[in-house]
Amino acid sequence: MVLSILKRSALGAAICAAMIGNAAADDVVKKAEAELARYRAIPKFEAPGAPFDAKACMAGKKILSVPASSTIPFLSTINKATARLAKDIGFHFQVWENQGQVSQWVQGLNYGASNKFDLIEMLAGADPRAVEPQIKAARAAGSKVVAAHLTGFEQAVPGGADGVVPIDYKRAGELLGWWAIGRTGGKVNALVLIVSGALSTDSMMDGFKEIMAKNCPSCKHAVIDAPVSEWATKIQPAVQAALLADPTINAIVPIYDSMVQFVLPALTITGKAGRIPIGTFNGTPFVIGLVQSGQVEMDIGENLDWIAHGVLDSHMRRLCGLGEIKDPKIPLLIFDKSNAATAGKPPVDSKGYGDEYVAGFRKLWKLQ
Amino acid sequence: MTSAKREDANRAAQGPDKGQVWIDRGERYGLIVAWLAVIAIFGAIRPEVFLSWANFSTIFGSQAVLVVVTLSLIIPLTAGDYDLSVASVLTTSSMLVAVLNVTHGWPIGAAILAALLVALLVGVANAAIILYFRIHSLIVTLGMGTFMHGVTLWFSDSQTISGIDLTLVTAVIATRLFGIPLAFYYALIVALVIWYVFGHTAVGQRLLFVGRGREVARLSGIKVDRVRFGALVASAGLGGLAGVLYAGTTGAADPSSGMTYLLPAFAAAFLGATSIVPGRFNAIGSVVAVYFLVTGITGLSILGVSTYVQDLFYGAALIVAVALSQLVRGREERLT
Repeated sequence: MVLSILKRSALGAAICAAMIGNAAADDVVKKAEAELARYRAIPKFEAPGAPFDAKACMAGKKILSVPASSTIPFLSTINKATARLAKDIGFHFQVWENQGQVSQWVQGLNYGASNKFDLIEMLAGADPRAVEPQIKAARAAGSKVVAAHLTGFEQAVPGGADGVVPIDYKRAGELLGWWAIGRTGGKVNALVLIVSGALSTDSMMDGFKEIMAKNCPSCKHAVIDAPVSEWATKIQPAVQAALLADPTINAIVPIYDSMVQFVLPALTITGKAGRIPIGTFNGTPFVIGLVQSGQVEMDIGENLDWIAHGVLDSHMRRLCGLGEIKDPKIPLLIFDKSNAATAGKPPVDSKGYGDEYVAGFRKLWKLQ
Repeated sequence: MTSAKREDANRAAQGPDKGQVWIDRGERYGLIVAWLAVIAIFGAIRPEVFLSWANFSTIFGSQAVLVVVTLSLIIPLTAGDYDLSVASVLTTSSMLVAVLNVTHGWPIGAAILAALLVALLVGVANAAIILYFRIHSLIVTLGMGTFMHGVTLWFSDSQTISGIDLTLVTAVIATRLFGIPLAFYYALIVALVIWYVFGHTAVGQRLLFVGRGREVARLSGIKVDRVRFGALVASAGLGGLAGVLYAGTTGAADPSSGMTYLLPAFAAAFLGATSIVPGRFNAIGSVVAVYFLVTGITGLSILGVSTYVQDLFYGAALIVAVALSQLVRGREERLT
């Protein structure tokens, strides 16, 4: 009799614990959904600072951009948009075209310094830590050197540069974490693909890990680290091996969306195509196309034209003595099956984010 | 006759001794033994995963592109020429398939034919410049590869293009035979054709003679330039085929990533030359070399080691295999 009661009590306790556990999992899934929902709506324009007369303050000034590589469409699109804005405002803007070699960045910095550019921008991956002596020389020659779209809000100015125009990479990492939690019902066993050494990776992974640690301590993730130059040869076999080694992997998170191209064949070959969801970051048009076709579930995008406006706003304020902008207010937008079509068919850069920001910046810069 | 000469004559009359036979076999099949050893080691550590058919079908099915690139390299290498443009041809070919099919709406068959035609034209250009101006193939193909990379960046507008006709994806990796994607069998067919041509046809023999000594080949009546021309065009054609397989594997194409196949393919070609027909670039040895390297890397990935360890394995395997082969060759020379 006593034994029977004890057994029933134990069973009851186990059921209660399971119910409490399920309720907690439901709560965290709801929380994840709420976090993601905020980023599905077309973003509103927020001014990064007070209005100023851009034409007056930029008259006679010169900016040189040294992108990580001109062959990366992401960067050439931003550069083209900035060139358009510079023409409109009326100052000299030049791009140091290069193919991603550090020696070419060195040339760019030397050119900027010797030609008295007021500001030299190292754009999105052109890492100041690789060219510290040249930055020192450029600053000594009177140029301000700014790393744009490289660091997260919480990271320090790298490589002796004057400053940064940060991006909320940490928030992007957090959203990837929330997506994984929501998609797996709070039972994440994710495969995360990273590129170590990049400041943006550090920031995104900090965000991802924090969300996991705070909201889903029992969740786990494995990491595959592949340098950009070896994506074609390393990602596919590494993902295949990981899926074979752990068949319970239930989400794949390539933190940069161009990695997806090499993840998809791994899923097909291991017979898991369409069974493991992919969530990623960048909003590259071809990946939004994969969202449209259902091969990728979520892509967190950035509007390249908005980046050009936000970064330039920050540079102009720095050159005109209007202070340093801590948050250029460049928003993130989640593309999934609910809104991927708004990016166009086939998707194109900067589409789907609305255009309120264009008028917003023009008003902010007193161009109208 | 000196005593040394008498010993040599006796040895020749008796045929190769047992030790020599075993050395020959060791060299010929050493890489296969090493491959089996790698399988045994990883199989012992993670038997439930590594020894599964799913793992082997994945290993075989996912490296067809690398196999075809490696095979494309061994043709000019046998004739004494280098083709450093093959990775660029691969990239151009895959990108052309994507641009013509997705952006311009060409049927996939026509896009593939156009890509292969362009690849062959690059081979013709390589050969014409090398043979007419008598410039080393290393220089010409390096320049041509860089030039084609620029062309690819230009016509693709540096964009990655997805959404290639699913017919190609189905024909390359989605359809399976014995659980292995068809891409593997395409690569195998290419290997068998090259094996047959190299070992059982006059063309193969001429290729080898030209590679071993152009002057001797010329004096023997072989049309050396014609042989070298054919080898370079065949290499580019196979590079184009590799590009089609690459596009079919990923269902997309980008203007840069295919370039990374060049060094692994050269590594596999040189590693393959240490086995099956030691001292010669050979098709079966190349295929074994690719799968030996891929098996090792897959095993390391399954164990979860960092990717830099894969590079260590790749580099060390190549150096050790070639060094051992040279060691055996040295012994062989002393024995005979």
